Amino acid sequence: MSADTASRTATSSGRPARGTVFRETMLGTLRLDDEDRIRRVRLDLRVGADRSIRPLGTTEARATGRIRVAGWADDSCAEGELEISPLARRRIRYRITFTADGRRLTVDGWKSVTPRRPLTSMTVLPYTLYEAGARIGTGTLRFPVGTQLLRFLASFRFPRPQDPDAFLAPRWRGEPGRTEVWYTTVTDPDTGCGLWLHHELTAPADGSEPYAHGWAAVFPKHGPVRHARFGPARWTPEESGFSADGATVRPGRLSGSAEGGALRWDLAERPADEPLFTFPRWSWRRPLLPAAHMLPAARASYDGTFAHDDETLTLTAAPGASARIYGHGNARRWAWLHADLGGGDILEIVAAVSMRPGLRRLPPLVFLRLRRQGRNWPRRPERPALGWAGAGRFRAALALPTWTVTGRCGLRRIRVEVTQPADRTLVVDYTDPDGRHATCRNSERADARIRLERWWWGGWRTEAEWRLDGTAHAEVGTR
Amino acid sequence: MSLNGLVAALIADDGTAEWPQRVPVRLDTVLAKMPLLARVGVRTAAHAVDAYAMARTGRTLGPLTVPEREAVLAELAARPALLPLLDVLKVPVLLAAGTERMLQDGPAPRGLTPQDPPLDLTPAPAWAARSTADAVVIGSGAGGAMAARTLARAGLDVVVLEEGRHHSTESFGRRAPLDRFTELYRDGGASAAVGNPPLLLPVGRAVGGTTVVNSGTCYRTPGHVLDHWSKHLGFALADGFDRQLDEVERTLRVATQPTPVLGTNGRIALAGARELGWRAAPLRRNAPGCQGSCQCVVGCPTGAKQSVQLSVLPDACAAGARIVTDARVERILVDTDRPGGPRAAGVRVRRSDGGFEILAPLVVVAAGALQSPPLLRRSGLGRHPRLGRNLSVHPATSVAGRFAEPVTAWKGVLQSVGVEEHHTQGILIEATATPPGMGSFILPGLGGELRRELESADRLATLGAMIADRPSGRVLGRDRTLIRYDLDHRDADRLIRAVRAMGELLFAAGAEEVLTGIPRTPRARSLPELDAVLAGTSARRLHLSAYHPTGTVAAGASPQHFPADPEGRLRGVHGVLVTDASVLPSCPQVNPQLSIMAAALAIADAYLQE
Repeated sequence: MSADTASRTATSSGRPARGTVFRETMLGTLRLDDEDRIRRVRLDLRVGADRSIRPLGTTEARATGRIRVAGWADDSCAEGELEISPLARRRIRYRITFTADGRRLTVDGWKSVTPRRPLTSMTVLPYTLYEAGARIGTGTLRFPVGTQLLRFLASFRFPRPQDPDAFLAPRWRGEPGRTEVWYTTVTDPDTGCGLWLHHELTAPADGSEPYAHGWAAVFPKHGPVRHARFGPARWTPEESGFSADGATVRPGRLSGSAEGGALRWDLAERPADEPLFTFPRWSWRRPLLPAAHMLPAARASYDGTFAHDDETLTLTAAPGASARIYGHGNARRWAWLHADLGGGDILEIVAAVSMRPGLRRLPPLVFLRLRRQGRNWPRRPERPALGWAGAGRFRAALALPTWTVTGRCGLRRIRVEVTQPADRTLVVDYTDPDGRHATCRNSERADARIRLERWWWGGWRTEAEWRLDGTAHAEVGTR
Repeated sequence: MSLNGLVAALIADDGTAEWPQRVPVRLDTVLAKMPLLARVGVRTAAHAVDAYAMARTGRTLGPLTVPEREAVLAELAARPALLPLLDVLKVPVLLAAGTERMLQDGPAPRGLTPQDPPLDLTPAPAWAARSTADAVVIGSGAGGAMAARTLARAGLDVVVLEEGRHHSTESFGRRAPLDRFTELYRDGGASAAVGNPPLLLPVGRAVGGTTVVNSGTCYRTPGHVLDHWSKHLGFALADGFDRQLDEVERTLRVATQPTPVLGTNGRIALAGARELGWRAAPLRRNAPGCQGSCQCVVGCPTGAKQSVQLSVLPDACAAGARIVTDARVERILVDTDRPGGPRAAGVRVRRSDGGFEILAPLVVVAAGALQSPPLLRRSGLGRHPRLGRNLSVHPATSVAGRFAEPVTAWKGVLQSVGVEEHHTQGILIEATATPPGMGSFILPGLGGELRRELESADRLATLGAMIADRPSGRVLGRDRTLIRYDLDHRDADRLIRAVRAMGELLFAAGAEEVLTGIPRTPRARSLPELDAVLAGTSARRLHLSAYHPTGTVAAGASPQHFPADPEGRLRGVHGVLVTDASVLPSCPQVNPQLSIMAAALAIADAYLQE
């Protein structure tokens, strides 16, 4: 069953076809009961609902964002809920919890919609501030129509509900010359070890029997990389995930062993973010490109054990991610990076040169996805890869031990520098469906330097900078 | 326009006393508190009288001499059709004149004023624009207070919304009765029912509702009424009313009024009943330690009367309830898209800055029988065809008896003695005296005659009678209340019989004459003469007022006939309880405070047991 089919099945079982996401900024005032002054307040919210907004009904939504109260609070982890019911209940209610001075506070207020004053009633939010259920202040927030309306309207998105488990189902339908991969990379924060589990289905191009195989690798902080293969084994189609030679991938669970038990793993996986399509989403649904790559959940956490030789790692909420690849085979050259930047931010890069005649002469196409504060940049995956008919595309310089990606989109530009020291890198031989071989150099303990800059009044200013020492997951493939 | 001329003519201001000269100013103050229609009516009438004087004498009333004014009024009074209109005009003038005349004797001596029990009060302007609660109670009268206390004691976060203001016992003692009168009553006391005949229908508006201004008389709901409610109308909660009535009586400290403070008015009623062999006794009241100030109807100045703001609301506030004053509810908020049907979500309250809203899953409607139906209509909850109908009141009239010795009816208990001889026929006589001018009895005459009546008012004893009516009224309107009430034929007969019974009682007590209150035949010197007067008149010529409106959102078993179900829940919406006088299925036939409070207690208890 394809992910597309799974999505449609989910829809027919009663789940709404699309959700709603929008951003809203409100400005206003707060007067604390024990003060005789008024403080300025700014509330920036990202609101998400599991269904499209129902103008005639009521929509419950979650909200996250930042609240700033002049001289008192600045909490970028404010969270809460909205009750959006402009007609049925004539009310748009906000309940946002945040922290100020170590106190847990709740803003509770609602816009009271009336046809007599449509603009005022839809933009003015009187509220009360509570601490542990007791009122400590009151205030009013206003949506500034003049400066925020266009931004507010442009922020509306109607994403499909995405179940990470649905993306684990095999894509292969019996065509010759295909390869499909389920892989997982994890960093154990306690020991600094990196883990790599690779599960692969290969359907040879000559039409011979497909086979499943894979490997596991551990990248200890001190000591050499340990690597072991399992399979090849006969491929038996699974409804959801991968299973061959004792290695299985199931929703929420990874288990198996390699080399007769030299490496054993049993991990529980908990998705912690929305799916992330490294390549355009359409290329995953309609396999028109030579291959497509995506993450069922941009971030996940792992609990369980990974034993290698005489040592057993016990993982507790270890960060990592699983990814999926489906296509005709490996690229001619490629580089890959998965970097968990902390605070829920993720950077995923695939830069590749195709094997197709003609395309192989092009420089690497860079698919770069930076998910920061819940938003993806660049907005569309095609933008860094293609630019504007080639102009402004992101560039990659593939080399070892250090490779780089640079690019500019809109008012932001990024520079990524990945270093894969040889002693932390594993060399693995890949076999394409057509029998050709590629060499992959993989490190789950790579270093990365990432700088994000923003154009501001005539110059570039650093907006964010990340430095990952041994926690980046990277790979470079060559022929 | 100045009312000096009209006032001077009506009370024959001859310049020999100072107090009549202060009456026009006082009258202006009274009129300012009255609704626009009443103000316009009085001023138009004054214009008309002045115009008549101008036509007859070439001058308006003001510049005329006393005899000339008398002559003008005598010409007007000679036209029988004008008498009822002139009587209506006399009501505010007598109100102002009575007060000024009383004040000439100096303010009443003030004793020590007890401290009121504490309440958690917040004026509406200081209330947050958005807040939440477990329950919102609309109205702080008898029903609202009892519901609030019951819910608060069960642990709910309760907010009570009151349209009026809070008045302390200390403020009652400090101000003249008339100043309090215009503030404590809706429309300055000029609320009226349109119909045949029109009825004055005063209702209180303050923290405590009408219990602040009632007489304190506490009758338990009669057994036959409870049987009727339970067996015929399906108001099943009436079955357990005895327990609730006991609880309410304990709360209000109800007891029989001790004889020493009854006052001469009450003792005359007792004497007359004794002479006739009628059943009569001092009333049971909620006023322990009553000192006979005779000011119940403008707020007890000694704090003896246990109005709910002194008895029930303090308990509610001690249990966590909060009261918002000056808060007129604009509408009940209803979530129409809830699973299972519409559900109340809270209330919106009017305020100068656009209003405030309180969200609560339970809304208790206790705005009174005259205000609850309009509130429900403007909230979109007034679709039941019987909502606002079934209005029952106690039509009442009063009669005065002139005695040789001073009675000074305004010294003693305001409503002191009940004569239940005719109660089985739906007539309840109660010895009722009020501060001068505030009663429903209108002194007869115009000019000099009226002045003489005013000067000798201390020799009058007054009795009032109220009758159990057939529900024949309706409450109309959404934003403004319009009351329509037509007196039933049976009730008209009862009123005439009530006047006759009161006259008989007064004559038996030794009255020299009885003032009937009928404009054309205001006096009767003997019982046969009274009979003759009554034989030629109809109830519509009496000065009627009405009290105790009930039944406009009646509870009962039949979904077609009762807007509320037998447990007081409004039909057609979830989360709305009705706990005021409007929920009573029919006329309780007695002063209804205990019945309302018992019903509120039963309904709130039933809700909590769900």
